[in-house]
Amino acid sequence: METRRLVLTLTSIFVVMIVVLGGLTVVLVAGGGGDGDDGPSAGDDGGDDDDNALGDRIEGELRLFGPDPITLDPACASDAGSAEYIVEIFSGLVSFDLDLNVIPDVAEDWEVSDDGTVYTFNLRSNVLFHDNSRPVTADDFKFSLERSLDPDTQSAVGEVYLDDLIGAAEFADGDADEVTGIRVIDPQTLELTIIEPSAVFIEKLTYPTAYVVDQREVGDATCFAGGGWTLTPNGTGPFKLEEWDLGRKIVLTANPRFHLEPAPSLERVTYILSGGSSFVMYENDEIDITGIGINNIESVRDPNGDLNADLHEGPSLDVFYIGFNTREAPFDDAKLRNALSLAIDREFLAQEFLLDLVEPAKGILPPGMDGYNEALADIPFDPETARGLLDEAGGPGVLDGATILTSGQGAAPSDILQAVLAMWEQELGVTVTIEQEDFGLFLRDIDEGSFEMFSLGWIADYPDPQNFLDIKLHSQSSNNEAGYSNPQVDALLDQADREADETARLELYQQAEELIVDDMPWAPLYHGKASYLVKPYVEGFVIPPFVIPNLRYVTINR
Amino acid sequence: MPAGLATYIIRRLLLLPVILLIVSFATFALGRYAPVDYVEIQAGPRAQPETIERIRDERGLNDPVPEQYMRYLGNVLTGDLGVSTRYQGFPVEDVIFPRMWISLQYNAVVLVLTFAIGLPLGTWAALRRGTWQDPLSIGVFLLFASVPVLISVPLLQWVFAVQLGVLPSGGWSEAEYLGVELGIFSKHAVLPVLALTLPGVAGIARYMRGQVLEVLDQDFVRTANAKGLKAGTVVTRHVARNALLPIVTILGFELSALIGGSIFIETLLGIPGIGLLAFESIGSRDYDTITAIVLVGSTIFVLTMLLIDIAYGFIDPRIRVEGSIS
Repeated sequence: METRRLVLTLTSIFVVMIVVLGGLTVVLVAGGGGDGDDGPSAGDDGGDDDDNALGDRIEGELRLFGPDPITLDPACASDAGSAEYIVEIFSGLVSFDLDLNVIPDVAEDWEVSDDGTVYTFNLRSNVLFHDNSRPVTADDFKFSLERSLDPDTQSAVGEVYLDDLIGAAEFADGDADEVTGIRVIDPQTLELTIIEPSAVFIEKLTYPTAYVVDQREVGDATCFAGGGWTLTPNGTGPFKLEEWDLGRKIVLTANPRFHLEPAPSLERVTYILSGGSSFVMYENDEIDITGIGINNIESVRDPNGDLNADLHEGPSLDVFYIGFNTREAPFDDAKLRNALSLAIDREFLAQEFLLDLVEPAKGILPPGMDGYNEALADIPFDPETARGLLDEAGGPGVLDGATILTSGQGAAPSDILQAVLAMWEQELGVTVTIEQEDFGLFLRDIDEGSFEMFSLGWIADYPDPQNFLDIKLHSQSSNNEAGYSNPQVDALLDQADREADETARLELYQQAEELIVDDMPWAPLYHGKASYLVKPYVEGFVIPPFVIPNLRYVTINR
Repeated sequence: MPAGLATYIIRRLLLLPVILLIVSFATFALGRYAPVDYVEIQAGPRAQPETIERIRDERGLNDPVPEQYMRYLGNVLTGDLGVSTRYQGFPVEDVIFPRMWISLQYNAVVLVLTFAIGLPLGTWAALRRGTWQDPLSIGVFLLFASVPVLISVPLLQWVFAVQLGVLPSGGWSEAEYLGVELGIFSKHAVLPVLALTLPGVAGIARYMRGQVLEVLDQDFVRTANAKGLKAGTVVTRHVARNALLPIVTILGFELSALIGGSIFIETLLGIPGIGLLAFESIGSRDYDTITAIVLVGSTIFVLTMLLIDIAYGFIDPRIRVEGSIS
């Protein structure tokens, strides 16, 4: 009898427990306040308890899923994930428009001396810092550019983008008190002198390392100390930073006094920096724009699907490739490299594996970039020739035990890479092993040349062939991981660097590219495309092929 | 407070710095001897090798590791936990404590829920021994316990976020309650709580069931029943209290498992808590942040264990500390 009652008591405790828990869950789930129904009720701000519950809309707010930036200090940013915010908050002398033209920004215009080495920038008089305290002067630019180069700032990228300036190297090494190539003529005039004429110098100035910061605010903050000022940066860009909750959220608001047309139309841009899948967030109406990966592209392409109308595509200035270590046998033999390249069915990779999210590569330069060579022949899928070349190079035996280096966190290596290896095995009878390394280690190993093959991508810093051919494949470049060296190519690239005539310059790059493709230091695989979904009420949004301030062109129309 | 207990607590607290010293050195050395450092990683492929080497030099990364450690230790002792490099230039404490707060919120709820469901369930199952309810009740939860979070989390996301659309697929949001930023009442908290509670219940319930069964067979329970005490009183006063003691021990282990589990849950669900931060910090070789996380984590763990030891004494007067617990 007693046991019976005891059991009854306990059972009821348990039932109550479950009911309470269940109830709690229901309350919690419902608590979001109508997030479940996706009705486009604008301005539903009535008493919701989630302060960044993304289902709620503020008029004129664009909601995005963004990368979690490493820094918002323009002098220090070396990654696209950080630059994406910096280009909206800060600005420089010049910038890119969406057609990839260099346009005046804080500078109203500029003149270049006849010998191509002296750039004189006339600054606009109406550009104020975000706190409206004062206009930007040439002095601010001198401070900011020197800050990027200052060894005390400890920026890894200052020299990369500003080393054309006379005196930059001495200053960066701590041997000079100022960069002599940066001269303040008067508060509205800045003169930059470079060592030798360069067609890409003006494009390098669009990079954050050349952006202006408020010296009174920044003080002696470096890349590794005193980063607190970046929570309230006093920039000059189209948007102000309203809030940065590290790792969680970034909120930008429009800078109504922005000096370029069009001035921002959005009132607010909210970036969510962490969360689940951005595609699901888009479907749940938590964000307005999302990129699309391979898992979702088919459902989106379905013309009868709900999301089909939201699909947008654009070029992306990049190339994904397999690099060979051309310094050492057996990969110092162009025949072997060509054999491997010819045994890759690029059409099949692009269509079957990447579902047309990419463009098969026929050279190094991506479509959409100046100097892209339409006339360049496709790299054929030609196993017959490949086998012949392989035999000439010593037969399949020379690849015994060969490895290809790739970066990864221990998950399965990319399908693409596995597919390429399968093609090599099937067409050439060679077995290559994949070696996976954590990203930091991978970068070091390819930098030091301790690899046989590696797979990597390269994305444009600025839309110029120099950024691909000269940086990655000139024998003297520190970024030439493949160790490729062809004096003829070097000569063409050097000549192009000095060539003032644009058409002639691009032609030189095309000649260099043809030679490179013949030598095949890389087996280029494909060029990416940006595929993304945009809600119908968002107008004017494009994903630029590399980091460009693009939010001021966006409007919300509901 | 009895004198014995005070001595015991003091002795344990004195041990804490020693533990922290060992732990911090191990973490520090592991980081420094691991290939590649944060300068190289963050510089990216474009930076010139000379620049990287110069920065490394200036930041003291080329000094011998023991020397670097002594410098670090000196800073920590003056209250300076160092500077983050994942969030370049921010003091470590500004980075880790807000993240810990997030993980603490949902982990506390998980801990409470796991025990709140597990204990009654285990007791109930024990009292229903020999019937079909016993294996079924715990078996259901055992099923949850057998599914790794790597599978259960995507599954939960698919059901609640994609199919039903009632929950966000990940992330975290907070609102202010009485001046405190809390995220636990938002629906972002439901998935992590579910994903961690469901697999935890079975362990607690099974353990409790075993304890209750053991206690039920004891003479004093039979006596209590015989002298006509109400069934509820028998269970709460006699059975539960005696069965709970060993359970307190698992509380400590449960806690440390949760800290470790946070890394997976937070990475999968994109919750910006301490687990995700730890994961990212390792990838970006954010030395000071990693070491600080380990230090703070160890401190919490040691203190919890101490509290549990003390709690023993209150639950079971037989174990009043006389140095009998090592």
